[in-house]
Amino acid sequence: MGALYRYRELIRNLVLKDLKLKYRDSVLGFVWSLANPLLLILVYSFVFGHILRGGPPNFAYFLMVGILPWNFLAQSLMMSTGSILDNGTLIRKVALPMEVFPITTVLFNLAQFLFALVVFFPMAWLFFKVPLAWSWVNFFPILVLQVLFTVGLSFIISTATVFYRDVRHFTEILLTLLFWLTPIVYDIQTAGPVLKQVLYMNPFSHFILAYQDTLYRNIFPSVEQLLVLASLAVVSLASGYMLFAVSKTRFAEEA
Amino acid sequence: MAGKIQIVNVSKTFVIRHNKADSLKSKFIGLLYKRYREEKEILWALRDVSFNISPGEAFGLIGRNGSGKSTLLKVIAGIYPPTKGRVELPNGSRMGTMIELGVGFHPELTGRENIFLGASIHGLSRKEIEGIYKDVVDFSELDDFMDTPVKNYSSGMHARLGFALAVNLNPDVLLVDEVLAVGDEPFQKKCKEQIEKFRAQGKTIIFVSHSPEDVKNICDRACVLEHGQLMFVGKAEDAIERYHQLLAQ
Repeated sequence: MGALYRYRELIRNLVLKDLKLKYRDSVLGFVWSLANPLLLILVYSFVFGHILRGGPPNFAYFLMVGILPWNFLAQSLMMSTGSILDNGTLIRKVALPMEVFPITTVLFNLAQFLFALVVFFPMAWLFFKVPLAWSWVNFFPILVLQVLFTVGLSFIISTATVFYRDVRHFTEILLTLLFWLTPIVYDIQTAGPVLKQVLYMNPFSHFILAYQDTLYRNIFPSVEQLLVLASLAVVSLASGYMLFAVSKTRFAEEA
Repeated sequence: MAGKIQIVNVSKTFVIRHNKADSLKSKFIGLLYKRYREEKEILWALRDVSFNISPGEAFGLIGRNGSGKSTLLKVIAGIYPPTKGRVELPNGSRMGTMIELGVGFHPELTGRENIFLGASIHGLSRKEIEGIYKDVVDFSELDDFMDTPVKNYSSGMHARLGFALAVNLNPDVLLVDEVLAVGDEPFQKKCKEQIEKFRAQGKTIIFVSHSPEDVKNICDRACVLEHGQLMFVGKAEDAIERYHQLLAQ
């Protein structure tokens, strides 16, 4: 852990590198990263709101509150399949704390998530007349817990992909399934009792529900809710870090 | 920086996998059908190697291709954990690896950005990097190219920037693997001068080379490896003689 602190400059530089490479030499670079969530919100609000005539009130805003954090999670996990593998040449030539790579992946996606928020929230005020509420202050603790939760999963996925390359495909399919098993495009209250049980078993549902309470329903999440999120973060981080720590000695040979 | 580098009974094996099961799919199929099952073969890259390197010494590792010298260097650097045995380093000593020049450089980034990235890969803080930045640029003689993406550099310029960075990381122990083979003659001369300078400063140098000439010029002592086993440790000239005997056999 001390070594990680010593390498904080490397983490910073790697995140900056990825951001620069993504946005340099492309006029629309930043806009591209917004196009995907924007398109999703438009399509879902059209299909579910207008064609199927369903969805909670202020549906586009409801979708935005769910889709942006979901994208942060899903893209972090997808990218973390390559966190160790794609840095194989580096790992074989320099001794460094390899934890920096999955952490970098998550922080890079966090930066993109924050960019997206900075653009989408003012738009929400303008177009949907979303009122500011005190409950919004809870956004930050939830975000911190989501980051820790995601880092833990990134440790697991980046390790697993070193040994089994098809974890990449597995993760992709699993994320597609999980997207629909998370109450993102529908309100959890509309789900039947069995489906509700299933949704509560999906750890990420708890994060999305907390975001929806905080930003959409404008209520304070309960202490129990926050404790569930904190436990998920701790369990994910502890198990991920442990798996990573016992496996990393083999990365230079296997990656 | 007192204290020896001790290499104690170090063995390193690599597992060679035939029919490699590197996916969950092939692992699963292997459970059902024997002929698709993974078979492992153990390769001993290093076998029970022990010796000490004194502080301030220039030490050569010689041997033919595949003898284990680069593996040993990586074990000392901490890149590969030894399968058996251990490497003891003096407390608080900073290891500098020059296994490849410009490692971690990204072609799309400029020379300046790559210096910052490359130095942080070796664990330097931003303050430390700002402190050495000018020296790196001066040493590389690439002042006019700092805002040019590294992909537009010639291979010689790339090597110069990499070397300039490596020597300014200011390690106590320098691990060098064949890097002197790149670059033109003036560059090679500069490299050798720099290594002499390190020697004069009393830094420890561990040097892997095919070239007996370089080892003779640079190293006090050397060891000879053959099939992962230590054949000889002693004065550089004697080690080279032993190496030539081995080649003649």
